[in-house]
Amino acid sequence: MKRRIALVALLLLIAGAALALRWSPVDYAAQDRDATMAPSSAQHWTGTDELGRDRTVRVAAALLIGLAGATAAAALTTAIAGCFGVAAAFSPAWAAAVLMFLSDVFLSLPWLFLLMMARSLLPLTASPLETAVATFVVLAALGWPACARVLYRGALSLRTAEWMIQGHACGLRTRQLVRMHLLPHLRSLLLPQFLVCVPAFIVAEANLGALGLGVGEPLPSWGSMLLELDNSALLARSHWVYLPIALLVIVLLTLESFSAEGETHA
Amino acid sequence: MHSPLRSSILCAVLIVLSCSFAAGQAAPRQPGEIAWAIHYDPKTFDPAKVDEQASELVRYLTGGVLLRLNRQTQQPEPQLAQSFRISPEGTLIVFKLRAGLRFSDGAALTSADVAWSLRRVLDPATHAVVAEEFLSPAAVAIETPDALTVRVHLPTRIIGVEKIFDEIAIEPANRPSEGRVTSGPFTVADYKRGQYVRLSRNRNYWRHDAAGVQLPYATGVRLDILNNREQEISLFLRGEYDLIDTLPAEYFGIVAQKSSSAVHDLGASLNTEQMWFNQSPAAPLPEFEKAWFRNRSFRVAVSEAIHRADLARIAYNGHATPAFGFISPANAQWHSSSLKIPPESIADANRMLTAAGFHRSGNQLYDATGHAVKFSILTNAGNPARQKMAAMIQQDLAQIGMQVTIVALDFPALIERLMHKQDYDVCLLGVSNAEPDPSSMMNMWLSSSPNHQWNPSQKTPATEWEAEIDRQMQLQASSATQRIRKQAVNRVQQIVADQQPFVYLVYPNVLQAVSPQLRGVQSSILSPGPAWNIDSIRREQDRPRRGAL
Amino acid sequence: MSWPVTIAMRAGRTLLLILCAAAGTILLVRFAPGFFSDPREMDAKYAQAAQEEIDAENGQHRSVNQIAMQEAKDFLGGGFGTSRQYRVPVAELIGARIPLSALLLARGILGGWLLAICAALPVSSLRRGGLFWGLPFTILLAIPTAAMATACILSETGGPVLVLALLIAARDFKFLRSMLEGAWRSPHLLQGRAQGLRPRALVRLHILPNVLPQLCALTTLSIVTALGALVPIEVIFTVPGVGQLAWSAVMNRDLPVLVAVSLLMACVVGCAGMLSMRAPTLEAA
Repeated sequence: MKRRIALVALLLLIAGAALALRWSPVDYAAQDRDATMAPSSAQHWTGTDELGRDRTVRVAAALLIGLAGATAAAALTTAIAGCFGVAAAFSPAWAAAVLMFLSDVFLSLPWLFLLMMARSLLPLTASPLETAVATFVVLAALGWPACARVLYRGALSLRTAEWMIQGHACGLRTRQLVRMHLLPHLRSLLLPQFLVCVPAFIVAEANLGALGLGVGEPLPSWGSMLLELDNSALLARSHWVYLPIALLVIVLLTLESFSAEGETHA
Repeated sequence: MHSPLRSSILCAVLIVLSCSFAAGQAAPRQPGEIAWAIHYDPKTFDPAKVDEQASELVRYLTGGVLLRLNRQTQQPEPQLAQSFRISPEGTLIVFKLRAGLRFSDGAALTSADVAWSLRRVLDPATHAVVAEEFLSPAAVAIETPDALTVRVHLPTRIIGVEKIFDEIAIEPANRPSEGRVTSGPFTVADYKRGQYVRLSRNRNYWRHDAAGVQLPYATGVRLDILNNREQEISLFLRGEYDLIDTLPAEYFGIVAQKSSSAVHDLGASLNTEQMWFNQSPAAPLPEFEKAWFRNRSFRVAVSEAIHRADLARIAYNGHATPAFGFISPANAQWHSSSLKIPPESIADANRMLTAAGFHRSGNQLYDATGHAVKFSILTNAGNPARQKMAAMIQQDLAQIGMQVTIVALDFPALIERLMHKQDYDVCLLGVSNAEPDPSSMMNMWLSSSPNHQWNPSQKTPATEWEAEIDRQMQLQASSATQRIRKQAVNRVQQIVADQQPFVYLVYPNVLQAVSPQLRGVQSSILSPGPAWNIDSIRREQDRPRRGAL
Repeated sequence: MSWPVTIAMRAGRTLLLILCAAAGTILLVRFAPGFFSDPREMDAKYAQAAQEEIDAENGQHRSVNQIAMQEAKDFLGGGFGTSRQYRVPVAELIGARIPLSALLLARGILGGWLLAICAALPVSSLRRGGLFWGLPFTILLAIPTAAMATACILSETGGPVLVLALLIAARDFKFLRSMLEGAWRSPHLLQGRAQGLRPRALVRLHILPNVLPQLCALTTLSIVTALGALVPIEVIFTVPGVGQLAWSAVMNRDLPVLVAVSLLMACVVGCAGMLSMRAPTLEAA
């Protein structure tokens, strides 16, 4: 029941954003320069931003782009961490040691420079959407090592569980055991990793704007809107700057509710 | 409530409280000390090796100089030199030092120290930036006929030579001390990397006020190294800092709300914000794109399409002035008020583009060869005003069918593209003009210079108008007659307005915050802003002392 | 395996990690855009005078082999080379900052862990309302570090330790709650409760030992998260620690400092990894 409510809430949010984009008389990039940081009005339901752009439309567009990008990247990075951890758990000890060593090397390196190189490989005239996609792909590729070790330990401890032994004895192959039995038990680790990555990637995308990556103008960036919260001058001028973070919290709650296994019954 | 939950909430609150200690405390203030923030560590305290702004500030506050440029009148005033005389040919300067001068450690300051300091600056081994201003530093000769006289022989006349001596600190001969022994108002007392620089009062400073009280009034200066603007403003409003030089426009209103007498908008600065097109033949751009950028009509059309008043009003919250040339109106002596500038008109821009062979199809502009006009504007990350301007220019140019993408890079990556590879389309950056004299801008305007941004390091000028700019700038740099110099600079301003190699956008205003507790502040648009007469500034509660301490 | 062999193997592993980190850093920094750039080039006043110095310095850094040899020599000499931006020995720079960052990390991680455990233990045992009680941590996850820091600065309370602790707590709470919920659902837990064991005893005797291996691995994750968060926190709060130095080194392409920071990072990550390896793997009941 809770899952259904969460799913409906999420779909409503996405539908609402899509409709706001579709039906709005103004484009997300249109600048009403005589109405910058304007309060809510009939024309601009949640006011305007610093360049006079309608905040409702921009938040809606940012939500769709950020949600798609961040959840996809979070899912991908979780999947990579999961594959890595499980592969290490089911490998001989020396192979597991090598894999964990590689993940430690990965964690130690300053990957910011790789991001700079990624930007320099993209043409300067790459569209904002192309740089956004490149950003989320790179984030997904770099976000897995931190959690890989946790998943490795989790998978390792479950490898010798009774039901795993029973499964072997029944003739199930390792691949089947992992897919049908192990992964569901690892949900308690995979889900938090996914949930933690979603907001982290949204904000990271905005921070990567300093390197030329991220969602470029005039596309709205959810992360950049969240980062407005660190600007006291903006906070003093409009309360609608809190809208993106409120929406993010709702998204995280719905994702958490949708993915949870239900309440604990002791 | 569930009992374990209640006790857990209590634990959580206790943990949060124990993790808290107050954020952003400045170092404790010493009595009589004036404090403000700088944004990065000075690279050096050796006054001869200064090559960036933080070090330059420390040199300004500590170094005793022969002459000081009054930042308000922009005239040189004698400091350690009681008087100075320049020969009619401009090749000999004679300084007469004041009697009884001492360094901060009590040692006498004589002409030998002055000569040693000048020679050290001129020595190629020192790599002193200021030496370049002597044009041929190796040919400069210094004599000291007596303990109070210094004669400087120049190989050739140097326009504005007096201001060079504003940047040469006099140190004890053969005892360079990196600012610890000085002849200026303060000495470097303490430095903690990443935290602060503390200067203490020079008890042997030569200057006294009209009432005979020895200067400086302040017992010291503390420069906190702080990169966070929010923290800087918070500390200023709490009274921990006495001033903010270069207050960002977006924070002006919020500081004004809390303390309206503390903020000052001094009007247009000497600095400019501009964009330019990559006209370098070595640029790795398609030929059709290079053809656009070399086309005067294209550049002028872009200039005409940009609404500069909106940029000033929105990107700078009204604290900027629309710009049309490289000399700001704040530079009254050199600004040309009769420039003929392209009008701000979309219709005119469209006409110019059509005449140049471009045509529109829907919302997209195409050139004569059928290529869609799409290019990128490169700027540096971390400058909100510039990024807002870029977003507004993107919209303005969309009205004439140009599709623009904005790319913000970190500074080193941007420099590599601009200076080393010329791999960019259009760049949007600012130029800081520390001095009003156009001679200080030679590096930007001479076509052979690596800082001739749109087409650097040319062996010969690529166009006739660039050749003309070269001639006029060299004329103004060598002429002793103000009228001829002004005519030459006016001519250059007009050429730039006609050809638009730089599309000037705004002159950001000089915004400062000065604590109402400070007395004696005479704000200036020239660096170091409100602290330029630091020796005459004191805090309200610190009464000036009679006599030397 | 005997102790000396174990120690030798782990030391060898750490040394190899350090070498790989150093090599990787040199490659990444050398080939990233802006390595040969100097901000002074853009200032017409300083550009000409600085050009010779820039050319001379860049001549030494053209080849990766040259850089690697220089770094190895500096490392073996004990000073880790000279910082490009500060022009002082890197060892002097970093040595002064390590204690500050270490203290910040230790307090932040400890605070974050305590917060997360205090919250996760009771919340995971609830029959309903878990989502509601976990809401503060969901909100914390959504707030960017910079915004949290600004809030502290504007309200004149809190500081870097608080922000770091909240960041760690928000992330660890999610993991801990999931792990503990799974543990609460174990059949032997039901048996224990049916037999009248108190929750405290259940937690101490059954839950914590069950999740111990994963807790150790989570410690590694916390340390890695804290290391990553150290940079923005120290930069925003202007704490003169290793994180602030690292950020400044990135912006100025200060290779000697970056190599030293990577070595430090490799040591900490290696030790954190070994911590999780030490935890015994318990078989599920």
